Amino acid sequence: MFSRSPVQRRRAVLAVLLAVSLVLLTVYFSEPVGGGLHAIQRGAGDALSPLETGASRAFKPFGDLVGWVGDVTDAKKENKQLKSEVKNLRGQLAQLATDKHEAEQLRALTQVSANLPANAKTVTARVIAHSPTVWYQTIQIDKGRSDGVRVNQPVITAGGLAGRVIATTNGNARVALITDASSAVSAEIMPKGVSGIIKPEIGGKDLILDFIPKNSHVRRGEIVVTSGFRSGELQSLFPRGIPIGQVGSVNQDQLEVYQRVRVRAYADLRNMDFVQVVTSNGSQQVTAGAPRP
Amino acid sequence: MTPTPATFARLAALVLFGVVLQVAGVATIHIFGTQPDLVPLIVGAVGLLGGSMYAAVVGFSCGLLIDLALGQPLGASSLVLTAVGYAVGRYQEVRDPAHGLLPIPIGAAATAGYVVGFAALSFMLEVRGPVSASVIREMIITILLNALLALLIFPLIRRFMRASLVGDPRRRPANAPTGPLGLRGLEI
Repeated sequence: MFSRSPVQRRRAVLAVLLAVSLVLLTVYFSEPVGGGLHAIQRGAGDALSPLETGASRAFKPFGDLVGWVGDVTDAKKENKQLKSEVKNLRGQLAQLATDKHEAEQLRALTQVSANLPANAKTVTARVIAHSPTVWYQTIQIDKGRSDGVRVNQPVITAGGLAGRVIATTNGNARVALITDASSAVSAEIMPKGVSGIIKPEIGGKDLILDFIPKNSHVRRGEIVVTSGFRSGELQSLFPRGIPIGQVGSVNQDQLEVYQRVRVRAYADLRNMDFVQVVTSNGSQQVTAGAPRP
Repeated sequence: MTPTPATFARLAALVLFGVVLQVAGVATIHIFGTQPDLVPLIVGAVGLLGGSMYAAVVGFSCGLLIDLALGQPLGASSLVLTAVGYAVGRYQEVRDPAHGLLPIPIGAAATAGYVVGFAALSFMLEVRGPVSASVIREMIITILLNALLALLIFPLIRRFMRASLVGDPRRRPANAPTGPLGLRGLEI
């Protein structure tokens, strides 16, 4: 035995160890649970149990420390993940709020367009730019000549009348709001049917309904709509019955022939996202021409 | 290693301490969802220090103790760890590598051999259910963790076994050269 070379001895040891392992495996799997090897295993487990308990207790602080580090790492990772999720959700929330706002505006716009003549045609457009000055109350919309938009066509928005088209390109158009200094709209007070001209109050928020006869009894809260008058060749740009606003106050100056009525516009002209251009008021195509009240 | 009773006692203590520490302590630590495994590192370190025969015996002993302690099929771990220890030991005997970072590849290779071998054996023996792909991820993380841990474990085991090592350049000579008073250091 001792004369064996180191190589043989090494190989013999390996072979023996592997063989023992294989025998153990074979016996372990072939014997029942109550067999000898299983019993030895249970006994060894019992014997090692105190050692394991001691080691576990001794190792616990270190394990807790590593666990704490791991927990902190996990918490950081989770925090990062949650932040990303919150960011996404905020984006979704903003998108939903925008969608809701736009849906409300479109719904209100539909209600206004219901006041138009039965076979009137409209083009819905998105407001893409607002004039930044108080002197030129204009907006730019994303529909133009190619969509049938022409100069002087009336524009409505959620709440009521917004203005008229003053310039077009192929893909967009500029709209002068009813608060623009150049604007003048023939209107009448409902239900009395008193007519006048709506003009903007420069620098103010309200509109002025002028040329109302003094003997007309105008009351606060009465509704002002477009009159859509027609007199021979002369015809208003705006179809009849589009809501403009409601009477806020009445100014009766003794020296004036007419009374001036302050009107609060229904349309929120500073926060419009969508408008509708009335391309046909039902009777005839609204086409370019000289600005008329 | 010199085959003295002290060496065997140290190896036995190493096996017992390593397995108990692994089973009762290290196994409770979860890093990146898995835990490091000291046992293949112990077997690999002994293979580098003592060669194939010592490593095979230590691998067998560690495996048997693990199987006994954890109630696993007896012989499964010992079969794989014996092969791992023998392979590392043979590598040391044939190549005699000496590099400061050697524990990293040896630790990784020993761990890879153990986890892959044990997984293969488990498949052959009794695993019948579906296996998640995350098993592979855990195996890879264990190998990487052990590769790093080897830088700590290998020097500790070398230090623990230093008295039994033959020709270890770091080992302090047992008897300092002496000579007549006044002539020490002159190698007379």
